[in-house]
Amino acid sequence: MKVYRGAILWLVLALVLATAAVAQAPPPLSVVKWDYPPPFKNVTINVVGDAGHNLKPYEFWKGDFEKVGITIQIIEVPFEGVYEKEKTEFVAGTGAFDVVTFYPAYIGDFAGNGYLEPLDKYMKKTPASAWDPNAADVLGPFWELYCKFDGKVYALPIDGDVLMLQFRKDLIENPQEKAAFKAKYGKELKAPETWQDWLDIGQFFTRKKGAKLAGQVLERDFYGSAEFAKRGFSFAWFLNRWAPFGDPYFDKDMKPQIASANAVKALQNMVDSLKNSPPDVLGYGYDELRDAFVKSTVAMVVQWTDVPKKGDDPSQSAIAGKIGVGRVPGWPIGGKVVHRSMMPVGRVVAVAADCRNKEAAYWVAKHISYDRSLEDVSTALTGLDPYRTTHFKNPQAYKMFPTEARAQDYLKGVEAAMADGYPEIFIPGAAQYEDSLDLHVNKALAGQESPKQALDAVAKEWDAITDKLGRAKQIELWRKALQAYSSLGLIK
Amino acid sequence: MSENRLLLRWRRRRVPIFFVLPAVITLLAITVFPLIYELRLAFMSWELTTSEPARFVALGNFATILFHDSRFWSSLRVTLTLLLFGVSAEVAIGTGLALLLNRLRRSRTMLVSLFLIPVLIAPVVAGFQFRMIYHDQFGPLNYLIEMATGGRWRGFAWIADPKIALLAIVMTDIWQWTPFLMLIILAGLQSISLELYEAAEVDGASAGQTFGRITLPLLLPVIIIGILIRAMDSFKLFDIIYLVTGGGPGNVTETISFYTYLQGFKFFSLGYTAAMAFLQLVVITVIAQFFVNFQKRQAGRG
Amino acid sequence: MRRWSPGRKAFVFVVLLVALLFFMFPVVWMFLTSFKSEAEYFSYPPVFWPKSFSLRNYFNAMAFPPDGRGGLQGLRDSLLIAAGSTLASVLIGSLAAYSLSRFKTGGENLSFWILSTRMFPPVAAALPLFLIFKQLRLLDRHLSLVIANTIFNLPFVIWMLKGFFDELPVEMEEAALIEGCGRLKAFRLIALPLVAPGLVATSLFCFIFSWNEFMFALLLTRRNVRTLTIIVPSLVGGHEILWGEIAAIGTLAIVPGILLALLLQRYLVRGLSLGAVKG
Repeated sequence: MKVYRGAILWLVLALVLATAAVAQAPPPLSVVKWDYPPPFKNVTINVVGDAGHNLKPYEFWKGDFEKVGITIQIIEVPFEGVYEKEKTEFVAGTGAFDVVTFYPAYIGDFAGNGYLEPLDKYMKKTPASAWDPNAADVLGPFWELYCKFDGKVYALPIDGDVLMLQFRKDLIENPQEKAAFKAKYGKELKAPETWQDWLDIGQFFTRKKGAKLAGQVLERDFYGSAEFAKRGFSFAWFLNRWAPFGDPYFDKDMKPQIASANAVKALQNMVDSLKNSPPDVLGYGYDELRDAFVKSTVAMVVQWTDVPKKGDDPSQSAIAGKIGVGRVPGWPIGGKVVHRSMMPVGRVVAVAADCRNKEAAYWVAKHISYDRSLEDVSTALTGLDPYRTTHFKNPQAYKMFPTEARAQDYLKGVEAAMADGYPEIFIPGAAQYEDSLDLHVNKALAGQESPKQALDAVAKEWDAITDKLGRAKQIELWRKALQAYSSLGLIK
Repeated sequence: MSENRLLLRWRRRRVPIFFVLPAVITLLAITVFPLIYELRLAFMSWELTTSEPARFVALGNFATILFHDSRFWSSLRVTLTLLLFGVSAEVAIGTGLALLLNRLRRSRTMLVSLFLIPVLIAPVVAGFQFRMIYHDQFGPLNYLIEMATGGRWRGFAWIADPKIALLAIVMTDIWQWTPFLMLIILAGLQSISLELYEAAEVDGASAGQTFGRITLPLLLPVIIIGILIRAMDSFKLFDIIYLVTGGGPGNVTETISFYTYLQGFKFFSLGYTAAMAFLQLVVITVIAQFFVNFQKRQAGRG
Repeated sequence: MRRWSPGRKAFVFVVLLVALLFFMFPVVWMFLTSFKSEAEYFSYPPVFWPKSFSLRNYFNAMAFPPDGRGGLQGLRDSLLIAAGSTLASVLIGSLAAYSLSRFKTGGENLSFWILSTRMFPPVAAALPLFLIFKQLRLLDRHLSLVIANTIFNLPFVIWMLKGFFDELPVEMEEAALIEGCGRLKAFRLIALPLVAPGLVATSLFCFIFSWNEFMFALLLTRRNVRTLTIIVPSLVGGHEILWGEIAAIGTLAIVPGILLALLLQRYLVRGLSLGAVKG
């Protein structure tokens, strides 16, 4: 029994110490100019979001909220449970949440079903320094496609996820490798511009244990490239290859465009890429893909933009200082190469329609989305990624890079990727459409279906889903979405 | 006189009912509403991602599931495969271990506690451990295989190989649930009266005969209930699939519980999900009925 | 009991060793991982023995952000719910099991209906149950989870104990009844102690099922109630899996179960109760 008492005391002590450690916050920067709104009268705002470091901003800036009379109560939900938890509470009308964090692919569902409050009128309140979230500062694709629905603003961004090309600069720039590549493929060895380059370079760098790589003998097999080939997001890696063609998911009558020759070509390219990937690539989720790259198993990956932040940390990465970033490869279309980067996941915050303190809730959302966003995306204490021009123009804030120059390189890469940003499907039914695509893409990767079979199956299933959800309404919503796509030049 | 006897008879008839009443009330009170709610939903189409109201479709959902949804059938097949191989192995290994532990006296407590740990570990946590263990390049399992075969064989791509993934899941299931069967069979063994064994020994029965004639028949009810519970729970297996393979590669590890979860919690197709739930109920009921009948026949024979 | 030959003993030893290796490997892996640092989670060759045994993962897991109470609250809430549900299920369930076994109350239909409530996929029952608890204002309170878990544990308890009661010969209770003992007393003083091993196994698993339940814990709680099963997935961000912290919480989470198992095993002994009755 004494042992137990001692252990409990120890645990409590540990808890106290750890709490002290958690209470650190990034140093406030004076880059973004903002003001407090007129104080509220002792308002409690319930914030729901995915548990973990992405909720830390509410802890960091607790003081700011208290200054205007707002008390924040956090409700954490596991990352994978966010949608079902929020949806269930909304459906049952419990009014439990005031500020809702969610993944923007669900904006069609949440906004379309009236769970969220349109924010336009709050954005226009004066003084602007207190209320304006500076939409123009947010990169186009993210704002137009992920924060607005049916012409109104429903959410503010807090985490800009986008995919980016990451590769081994040291291998690409190695003179011996360059010479060998030129000899074999007849072109310069540089970061892949097209998906054909992706295959060629991938093939070139796939070598067995014992072979030479950049003058060193390999102790393990090395591979040219890897993909997120696990069920869940494998579809996004396929879409990287299809989006450049400019075909929308559906045409204006909700006829799926996913079974076109372009799409089959795109999927075939992904299937072919697996030849240059490690044998367990079909099990690669976020972690496995990142590890394959930073532990020096593959030469190139397309991954979320936060990987280089960790990749430059020698304690975790075998390739610190050797990472190059670039635009996701594209296809040569009409004389130039068109690049597109998927924006999977991401986070936005919104105000619940049945919130009782909408102004206060709005200001909380705006504060995190704009006022303190630079501190939040540039620190290693959260997992939030940049999405505003302000974020890209201030490399000095990103202290996890050894030099400001490296931060600058990184940010240039992210900004370019986000400018190429392409959205997930965000109309109601997004989860169903994407799951169908993901399943069949995965089957094609696993060899259970040919690319053509897979995409034909997807087209058929998408039609069934549209019918199930009500074709007329879906067409109406999709046509509005198409306008947004057009205005951004994402479709032809 | 007769009053007392009447009272006694009344009480004798009521007593059993009083015993069962709390359980029945509890279950009835809470399950009645969900069951009726879901039954109603099964005949409607209600897509909660849209703002369309629910509409009556009679047997439409059932027809779609049974005749147009290949995913339902493939996920059912995956689940039944898992059930068949997993539960058989768990029963076999569990019984063997229980018999062994039954004989040990001093080390039993410690051994039982150790063997129970896999069941104690939250499936969520176990899922993550297996993701590490099954990792093709950095995982300990393949490393140990590599060391054991002197580098000649580097193990499987447990999670990524479509031919192996389901086996990996089955192994995880066996690891986690064999101790369950082990413990209840051990409890069952403990309940068998020693006198029976002593009598058998006096009669000169061999170990095999003792097992076959005494132990096994008396254990059978417990084993069957164990299989029943495991069979029902196999239909609910979710956490491991979700975390380790996500149903993939392709859909080789997509179980019916995973698919139902997708329909219910990602697609919010509530009517469809309800219909799927009832179809699963039918399947499980058939399986359960089979085992219950089997047990009754065994009991009759004893 | 027959004595074993040394050959037999060796065989048993080998079998137990293999079994231990198989079942304990992931457990030991989890335990060791909980002390590893980030660089040691995935490497080739894999790290079996951490370079330094740091308790950092335990600190982090227990003081999970943003309010620093994650782990402790998880332990407390999981304990309350698992204990509550186990007690309720065993109390109510043993009575019902006895009745079903001795009196065949309700015949096959009742007992099969009871079992069938466990057959219904929880996913489908989730929304209506959510609505019920919302009406009862029990959302984000422990009671809702105790009830939800009891619903799924009751059929298990009833069927398990029914099996054990079935194994029990009726003579001893009949003897007591003839001597004027009431049914309830016979149940409490004779039948129940005789199925002690069954009770032990059943209670243990009731506890485990509730302890590890995830779906209802996710849906029916917000911030006042947070079970360990919710905390663990919270350690997984979209871009970050805290492997070490997960292993740490996993290790801590099995402690109550092990303690319970050690505690209850005293009753998992044959003859203890039989002897008492005979005497």
